[in-house]
Amino acid sequence: MATEHAHAAAADPLAGVPVLLGNHTDETLTDTLFGHVWRKPGFGWYALFGLALAGFGLFVLAIAVTLYKGIGAWGNNIPVGWAFGIINFVWWIGIGHAGTLISAILLLFQQKWRTSINRFAEAMTIFAVIQALVFPVIHTGRPWYAAYFLFPYPSTNSIWPQFKSPLMWDVFAVSTYFTISLLFWFMGLIPDLASLRDRSKGKLQKIVYGILSLGWRGSGKHWHNWKVAYLIMAGISTPLVLSVHSVVSFDFAVALLPGWHATIFPPYFVAGAVFSGFAMVVTWIVPARRFLGLKDVITMRHLENMNKIILVTGLIVSYGYLMEHFIAWYSGNEYEWSVFVNRATGPYAGVYWLMITCNVVTPNLFWFKKIRTSIPAMWILSILVNIGMWCERFIIIVTSLHRGFVPSTWEMYYPTWVDFTLFAGTIGFFSTLFLLFMRFLPAVATAEVKEARHEMEIGHVHHHPGLMKAGLPEGHAAH
Amino acid sequence: MSTRDLNLGVEVHTVKSDEGYKLPVISNAEPAPARRQWRSIQERNADPALADKAKDEFPPGAGVFSAIDRRGFLQLLGGTAAIAGAAACWRPPEENIYPYTRAPENIPGVPQHYASTVTFRGFGQGVVVESYDGRPIKIEGNELHPGTRGTTSVFEQAQLYKLYDPNRARQLRHKNRPQAWRQFLAEVNALMQRHAQDGGAKLRFLVQPTTSPTVASLRAQVRARFPNAKFYAWQPVSEENARLGAAAAFGQPVDTHYDLKNATIIFSLDSDFLTWDPDRLKLTRQFADRRVPEAEGGMNRLYVAEANLTVTGMNADHRLRVKPSQVQEVARALAAALAGAGLTDLGQFGGGTSLDEKAKKFIQAAAQDLAAHRGRSLVLAGLRQPPAVHALAHAINAALGNMGQTVSYAAAVTPEIDDGIASIKRLADELKGGQIDTLVIDAWNPAFNAPADLDFAALLKSVPNTLYWHYYVDETANACNWLAPAAHELESWGDARSFDGTASLVQPLIAPLFNGIPLVSFWAAFTPMAEKSAYELVREFWQGRGVDDATWRKYLAEGIIPNTAEAPITPTLDMAGVSRALQAATPASEGLELNIIPDYRIYDGSFGNIAWLQELPDPVTKVTWENVAQVSPATAKKLGVEAVEHGTVSWVKLTVRDRTVEAPVYVAPGHADDVITVSLGHGRKDTEEALASRHGFDAYALRFTDAPWFQGGLKLEDTGRPYELAITQDHWTMEGVTGEPRDMALMTTLGGLEQFKEVEIRRNRSTLRPDEVMQEPYKYEAGAVNGGDATLQPTGYKWGMGIDLSRCIACNACVIACQAENNIPIVGKDQVIRAREMHWIMIDRYFIGELDEPEVAPQPRTCQHCETAPCEYVCPVNATVHSDEGLNDMVYNRCVGTRYCSNNCPYKVRRFNYLHWNYGKTATEKMMMNPEVTVRARGVMEKCTYCVQRIERVRIQTRIEGRPIKDGDIVTACQQACPAQAITFGNLNDTNSKVAKAHADERRYDLLYDLGTRPRTGYLTRIKNPNPVLASATQTPAHGAEHH
Repeated sequence: MATEHAHAAAADPLAGVPVLLGNHTDETLTDTLFGHVWRKPGFGWYALFGLALAGFGLFVLAIAVTLYKGIGAWGNNIPVGWAFGIINFVWWIGIGHAGTLISAILLLFQQKWRTSINRFAEAMTIFAVIQALVFPVIHTGRPWYAAYFLFPYPSTNSIWPQFKSPLMWDVFAVSTYFTISLLFWFMGLIPDLASLRDRSKGKLQKIVYGILSLGWRGSGKHWHNWKVAYLIMAGISTPLVLSVHSVVSFDFAVALLPGWHATIFPPYFVAGAVFSGFAMVVTWIVPARRFLGLKDVITMRHLENMNKIILVTGLIVSYGYLMEHFIAWYSGNEYEWSVFVNRATGPYAGVYWLMITCNVVTPNLFWFKKIRTSIPAMWILSILVNIGMWCERFIIIVTSLHRGFVPSTWEMYYPTWVDFTLFAGTIGFFSTLFLLFMRFLPAVATAEVKEARHEMEIGHVHHHPGLMKAGLPEGHAAH
Repeated sequence: MSTRDLNLGVEVHTVKSDEGYKLPVISNAEPAPARRQWRSIQERNADPALADKAKDEFPPGAGVFSAIDRRGFLQLLGGTAAIAGAAACWRPPEENIYPYTRAPENIPGVPQHYASTVTFRGFGQGVVVESYDGRPIKIEGNELHPGTRGTTSVFEQAQLYKLYDPNRARQLRHKNRPQAWRQFLAEVNALMQRHAQDGGAKLRFLVQPTTSPTVASLRAQVRARFPNAKFYAWQPVSEENARLGAAAAFGQPVDTHYDLKNATIIFSLDSDFLTWDPDRLKLTRQFADRRVPEAEGGMNRLYVAEANLTVTGMNADHRLRVKPSQVQEVARALAAALAGAGLTDLGQFGGGTSLDEKAKKFIQAAAQDLAAHRGRSLVLAGLRQPPAVHALAHAINAALGNMGQTVSYAAAVTPEIDDGIASIKRLADELKGGQIDTLVIDAWNPAFNAPADLDFAALLKSVPNTLYWHYYVDETANACNWLAPAAHELESWGDARSFDGTASLVQPLIAPLFNGIPLVSFWAAFTPMAEKSAYELVREFWQGRGVDDATWRKYLAEGIIPNTAEAPITPTLDMAGVSRALQAATPASEGLELNIIPDYRIYDGSFGNIAWLQELPDPVTKVTWENVAQVSPATAKKLGVEAVEHGTVSWVKLTVRDRTVEAPVYVAPGHADDVITVSLGHGRKDTEEALASRHGFDAYALRFTDAPWFQGGLKLEDTGRPYELAITQDHWTMEGVTGEPRDMALMTTLGGLEQFKEVEIRRNRSTLRPDEVMQEPYKYEAGAVNGGDATLQPTGYKWGMGIDLSRCIACNACVIACQAENNIPIVGKDQVIRAREMHWIMIDRYFIGELDEPEVAPQPRTCQHCETAPCEYVCPVNATVHSDEGLNDMVYNRCVGTRYCSNNCPYKVRRFNYLHWNYGKTATEKMMMNPEVTVRARGVMEKCTYCVQRIERVRIQTRIEGRPIKDGDIVTACQQACPAQAITFGNLNDTNSKVAKAHADERRYDLLYDLGTRPRTGYLTRIKNPNPVLASATQTPAHGAEHH
């Protein structure tokens, strides 16, 4: 860490820390970035993986109980028809947003610093969306029907889904999101998979990486096609960053419930998603860069940039809260205002104030460069942000439902052990996938980092990465 | 005809005879083998006639295939061996029953309706029972019957559940060993012959007072046979005080019959007449008829003086909170005030000087009101009040000229009028003497419900021979030698008289499911007619009254025996008697007072095992599954037993004299200070009634012979332990958390109606309705019926409902009727705590005004069938859709259970099957299900359908008849049951229909109209009729005061 700070002090203050540290060649980059794939994992990995697998066990257990007993195993009731299931769904979907934003939008904006973290963030997107996808299915009373009734297949009874329902839109939005994210991630992996294939010692590795790399040979034609396809995918993904969470927010905004029925929801949800997504990336990347030895590639510059995004989106989220409350009061609608007063002073006020602390107060600490560049501080704050964002979904969903229009219907919601277990289980499942990813695939987009290194070498552009030209990697084509 | 019901796995035999129908027999019997099997040559060659003769051994209706003990087996060996291989092992009773409306033939899948009678508090309640393929599935009121007038309370509805109750006693037993009916008869006969030697000097009977003429005649025969035997009548909630009061005032224990039709000013002295008067359904109807501004004779005005908030008190225009022991002070003060208002005769009864200023003002105003309405007013005394209060009420009514106008008198319809504490105390004294050898009991569970100081259970065990006829194996059954399992009234032949005396026949719809013995058969066992079937006994009784076969069939079909009402008598008031009664009265007690009431859900406890009623929210407290100790907010504060939070309350010890019970505290707005109210019947222990013994505490343990209803000297001790209650609705008023009032149950005063109409009602009908809503209105296609008018539905029908809040008394009848009709499951206390109860219609109870003296606005809430339903557009699978007649349909098969519809329903009337509520139903519980309504699976949303199955049934019928559906053809279950007739249903397109008129009423408003949901259910504003003199307390606008 000391060297990083020293470096930062020495460099041009406007440029900040470079996106690549050390005196790397393609060879050393390959060794550094693929190292963790070839190395036998240490005790630490096995310990974490064991923990994660135990978490995955909880996931299986909670789903088994839910399927066996019914949704009654959860704490949901009437009026609180949705609770942990949908909270977790929205939370995980939101976390996935960092990956898409980094891979797509930053690519289009030619933010070269993204190359060090995009693989990581994209993997996180996919694993987060897998967690999210669990909930829309198992939160239904009859998942065995939900699994196909929601799709517009030509049934013999001519019954179609209700296209006015935001849940229907969710099906399309989330499945598209998952498909595109997976393809995008996989496409980015192809050159690296080919590298892995070429360096594989074992036969099995060779076969598996060989199949996955789809016959990549690194020819100019390959690079050309790959680059074009990658950009096209980025173009397709870009609207998804905005649309997916907008559609998820419609689940609430389209309903007439006070506390849900708000036009500010789509932008405020998207900002919240990016907010939580980047926080989650920071949470994972901070230990990963240390344990995988990626400090040269994922530098303080990356971390600081991500913290800045957390700060900005955090401010947007805070503005969303402010507006929500203001409009509730300004509208003069008793039902609406009652919901907001109840959030702050009612039985769930503790969760509300935790949300305000984590989402409104916490990100503002990133105004201070010292905090923004402090590894322990950012790690703790990033976790707080995700706690805050989970609380936000709890507040939106539960407090709006539990005291609605008709006072005689007001009831309390209390989660059961199954609710907690399932939530913990998804974290376990997510961690399992992530640890497997870091074990078997390069955690950094090696080909892209090499490209960036090359460009820096040629043009000394690392002081102005934002101005770097995107396009065909002449360097690569030449190699 | 015999059909095998595959769903139930039981055989249903329904046979049409020349005239009526054979009584349906449901059995699990396997079909007879095609080839006769035999085990011995004797059996092979057995004379078929002999087998028939053997079968005749068993009286019809008395289940013979109970387990048989060894002796019984030997005795019956000859007969059973012969039948063992015979084709049929069950002989359907040869008794014909006659449908209420004659069906052309018995078609499987088409319901039949039979008139019958169920009893409540001994009085016959005429009902019409719907039966499917021999299974009774719904009980409704019989319009021809004066007791029910076509409606029901929860207790009549509950009889259906009771019939199929899996916990009912199934086996006649002697000293815990099964016994055959014939064996029982033989042993009883031997026993009775022994007693006959001394005229029954050591034989005693403890009976439930009966109104059945046949049972009364049988009992008379028993009395004649055993002149030295004694009969004691007993029921824990008796009219003893009323009869003693009448005896004091009139010299004879006449029954008091109220007539609210002409009563403009009503004053209740602790009388919860809307719930507990023997004629409660009639009184409710009459009361409600005059709760609307357009009522003939104008709106009535109700004054109530009571301790705990009752259903009657919730409907009062003015309510005075007093200790129960202070009610007689109130009565005396009222007499004094009336004397001051010109009724000088009453001056001699004056008193009540100990009351506070507020009470005096209340009484003064009420007295002025009463005095101004002589002959059109009424004073009622509650059954818990001592005889003196009843006597004084009679005197006041006489002075007001109400006798013959709003109150009349008639001889009691039951011969056993001495059925209270005094009666059972005398029996207990005799038992203590140890001189009694045999005690025959058909009264409900004296071991549990006798006053605590009698220690009756121990006394029972000291009697050598005890015979108990009852429906469950309960505390008394466990303390008795013999238990004769009772047949349900829907399984029995019998008869009963309503409170006004009108007799009706108890017609069975089904042969006894288990080995139940009808009441008449039980009593016949003590007479030489033991061999006769219940049918023969009842038939012969009425034969003796000149009822021929044709008339008999008519009586069965119509459900009443006309011209049997008791003639009114005009007793003369004995002022001196009233004075003597008042002098004998005990003064009001000091300190904390215990107040015991019958339970709104399980009455005296005899309905304790009815799951529907256990899960029914109490109309006042909204507590389910158990009873509570109600206490006023001020007293709770004083005693430090305020609720911890929603549903979590203090657990306290209540001690009176040497008896202690532990109970949860419920802080009840409107409750009198320094009084703790407990309800009877819960906290059962030594019984096989699984639900009755699950929750609650036993308030009978605090009941004493000298203080059956209330007494001072109560001590409360907080145990410091929290306790969780299953409450369906907390104390919410109609405000949001900001304190801003919401337009829920609109309520105003008669005087304020005009202004209210202009502002509140208009606002709730149109002004704030949004132009655009998320859900587009359904586009009804114009059909031929409407001549192409696009505004109307193709069929011309536009179903709608009207609920008149002014009529609704919050009695809960609709809730249970809906539950019975629509196969609504119960979920249990823990799930109610989780807020997962399944009722499709709920009665919301809002408090308005002061915490101590709130007004109450009840509001039945069910699916509003919105024109632009918020639930419809959010369902991703199209499982809830609009019908072309405007119903908001629920397609169970399509539902995947996202619960989005419920989230988006502003009325929160949708119910979700969080667990498999219907899992593990016993065979009999399955028989209770209405086959026209789907039994919902786990994971499916459900809600009120406006009883779509009833709409479709009527549609089929009218299509056959080739006519359109008329107003009144379709009656929803809630509407049918409603004793106050607050609910109307029908076609809104028919401007002459009742529902269209309700919707056109000036009091109509739509719940949450500002959301643009355009509900099909219209509410009619609740109107109160306060006395302008007492303006302060109750002259509340629509909403008031703070949030509690």
